[in-house]
Amino acid sequence: MRVEYINPFVESAYDIMKEVLQSDIDRKDLYLKKTSHPIMGVAALVGLAGDVEGRVLIDMSQDSAVKIAAEMNSEELTEIDDLVKATINELANMITAKAVTKLFELGFKFDLTPPSIITGENMQVSNADVEALIVPLETPQGLVEINVAIRERT
Amino acid sequence: MGKALIKKNENNNSEQSRIDFKMVTFTLSGKDYGIDIMKVKEISRTSKFTFVPNVAHFVAGVYNLRGDIISVIDLRRFFNLPLIHLESEDKEQDNPDVDDMIILSLDNNVLAVVVDSIDKVVGISSETVQPPHPLFGDINIKYISGVAENESRLYVVLDVERIFSSDDTDEDSADASPETPSSSDSPPIDASRNERSAALDIGFIEETLATFASFYVTALNRDWVHKRYISWKETRKADTIQLTNVQDAESFLQSFASPCSGIFWSREYMEAAASFLDPAGKGNFHVWNPGCGSGQESYSTACMIKTHLPSVHLKIIAHDNDLIKISMAPGLQVDGNASGEPYDAFITEEGRGNQFSKDIKDSILFEYHDITYDNTLPQLDLVVIRDTLSYLKFDSQESVFVLLEDRMKSGGILILGENEVPMNIAMWDKVENSGVVAYKKK
Repeated sequence: MRVEYINPFVESAYDIMKEVLQSDIDRKDLYLKKTSHPIMGVAALVGLAGDVEGRVLIDMSQDSAVKIAAEMNSEELTEIDDLVKATINELANMITAKAVTKLFELGFKFDLTPPSIITGENMQVSNADVEALIVPLETPQGLVEINVAIRERT
Repeated sequence: MGKALIKKNENNNSEQSRIDFKMVTFTLSGKDYGIDIMKVKEISRTSKFTFVPNVAHFVAGVYNLRGDIISVIDLRRFFNLPLIHLESEDKEQDNPDVDDMIILSLDNNVLAVVVDSIDKVVGISSETVQPPHPLFGDINIKYISGVAENESRLYVVLDVERIFSSDDTDEDSADASPETPSSSDSPPIDASRNERSAALDIGFIEETLATFASFYVTALNRDWVHKRYISWKETRKADTIQLTNVQDAESFLQSFASPCSGIFWSREYMEAAASFLDPAGKGNFHVWNPGCGSGQESYSTACMIKTHLPSVHLKIIAHDNDLIKISMAPGLQVDGNASGEPYDAFITEEGRGNQFSKDIKDSILFEYHDITYDNTLPQLDLVVIRDTLSYLKFDSQESVFVLLEDRMKSGGILILGENEVPMNIAMWDKVENSGVVAYKKK
């Protein structure tokens, strides 16, 4: 993945999570992963197009998703319902949109698709021929992984 | 019975390997033709060509493919075939002005060809493609790579690369250097009794290099390791020949590093490396530089090509899996090694110090990438991969060479570390200048 893309995603994920959860977030080391890998339970998927092709995946366990949604809505929530899904959707939108805005300021132009939410156990996401950058964020509500797979259009 | 079994197995094998070549088939003046699907970028239908005045008669115009302007060739006119409009065909009834286009992605450019109608994709075994026969009068025989049969229809397979390449590239294969590399496959250790223990010692050294330095001894670097072992033995006491810790491994590998490894290339090295480039090169020039670290060698390569091949459209793809190092690469500060000719012309003064010009920076794409994962690369003219492969495991080294076999153009140049040789040596011609060695793909 192009080096210039890394920081905008790391920064926006960190800033947004910190802002919406109103707490300290622990950022762990970034690493690369082959894209065919299991997701933790709830994933919000945002597609990217333009100068590049690829997608951003915000991945967390079902338990963390419920807790994060509860925190963001200041409500008691117990299961993955429509509100939780809509909240995680919005979270994905905020993170990706902020990253894309930062990238635009650096001169890269991306378009994004509306997020889709994927929930379930034992699922894998794969993109052919491109590896994913993983930005792990440890929040009080559990681990959230921002998983970015982008490649230049050839 | 045994024989019968073997025969059956053979049959099975040939069944499995049957389809290894796919082509897009189409008709021109009622006859069937095919183009290798790997050359086809996409299929399109349009009528909106922009007319260009004063071009060859077979150029239908230019077409806007999502922002890229590509030229459109009418294959019927190109081969002087009659322009017949088959009334029975649906598309002619739909709209007689709409043409079927095949958009081709060739080595040097993208262009579209107009054909009568596109049929389907046919998978065949490349072994069944018969060589063209001189009696094919319609199309000049040198543009045909063969004739293939499928479901009792005969398809003429066009060699689009040759049709649309400029003439001067035809002779490329002729100037391949006959020189063969001096290194032999077998290690310079024979099995005489005295040296058997030495072979055993080397075996241990090979294992400990992998453990302590993640340095993997394979055909790529075995010659050097054996030579190094001999000099190593002379400098060490008999009981300290084996490598017992990281420091030992590092001092064993001290002389492995190539000149200018990980720093800006010296002028001498650059001149020697530049002599391998084809001075007539033009069009796109793609370079792959895995293990680029903070990018010094990528910038050196860029300066070298901009100096010696100023007219090519340069694109360097530089990869490293060290996030800290590669993050520094796009804004790398120029240090003392990169002063004087030929660097000066490409350096601009920024507020924070000297940096490379925008032109150079735009030609290099730095990516955080692990080359042991999938690699997506264009056709490559030059690969600079010095002192990097030896630190990959055998399987990964091998897969990189398989990749190079696939992705490098014929006549492309491979620059390895000074003490490395390609694993599939038969694929390469060794070229040498002022002590710098490179390998030209056959």
